[in-house]
Amino acid sequence: MSIEEGAKFVAAAYAVILAVVIAYYAMSARRVSALTRDVELLKAEVEKREAVSSGD
Amino acid sequence: MKKLTSAPALFAAAGAFLVAGLLLAFLYAPVDASSMGFSQKIFYYHAPIAETALVAFGIAFVAAILYLRDPDPKWDRLSYVSVRLGLLFSVMVMVTGMIWGKAAWDAWWAWEPRLTTFLIVCFLYTAYFVLRQVVEEESRRATYAAVFAIVAFIDVPITFFATRYMPEGLHPVVIRAGDSGMEGSMFLSFMISMAGMTLLLAALVRADVAAARLKDEIDDLKTRIGG
Repeated sequence: MSIEEGAKFVAAAYAVILAVVIAYYAMSARRVSALTRDVELLKAEVEKREAVSSGD
Repeated sequence: MKKLTSAPALFAAAGAFLVAGLLLAFLYAPVDASSMGFSQKIFYYHAPIAETALVAFGIAFVAAILYLRDPDPKWDRLSYVSVRLGLLFSVMVMVTGMIWGKAAWDAWWAWEPRLTTFLIVCFLYTAYFVLRQVVEEESRRATYAAVFAIVAFIDVPITFFATRYMPEGLHPVVIRAGDSGMEGSMFLSFMISMAGMTLLLAALVRADVAAARLKDEIDDLKTRIGG
């Protein structure tokens, strides 16, 4: 197999790896930031409710 | 020390090693003299990804045992995350292996020991997620998943040793005890890529465990506000 022929397969393999790793990393980072935001919102809600119930 | 093992630091180290491994593979290591020729360059990421996938299943196995000994949700989270990442790496191995197989053997797939046992690993760990979906009660789900992760791990050493004990397959055995099986420059490129891939797994495990912990915290907070 010539270098040119082999290079197509090598490029395809590395492209798959790069695409999968970048996509997973991006999804993971987005998930963490969304979860962090949700935790903060829920904590604020819990604090609000606890403050209301302790004032009763 | 904590900063060195934080997810961003691990991602940065993994990126540095992976780029270095890639540069060494293409600029320093020679083109393989065998019939594989240039397509052998796939090896420098393909083999480390395969080893890392098996390491991830190993982590899941150990975490599952630890969960059964001490049912702390942190072990279930680690096991779950490791299986997911092991499966992700396995999919990359299968796809890059098929591409390399087409280049080297002129066939996308062959029913030979390494490929077949790796495919079984993929199916087994896919079933792990099906199991987690069907069991609703949290602690029962974690216990069943732990038992499944332990049983499924049986196929991991079989996959690893398949090429060594069933040499009639197409898959070559490159590294043997006491023999790297390749030129020094090739071995160095491989080891740098291997270190990079291991660091990438560590970074992803760390980040995903943190995400799983946040998810559990959300469930807990929702329970507290009755949502």
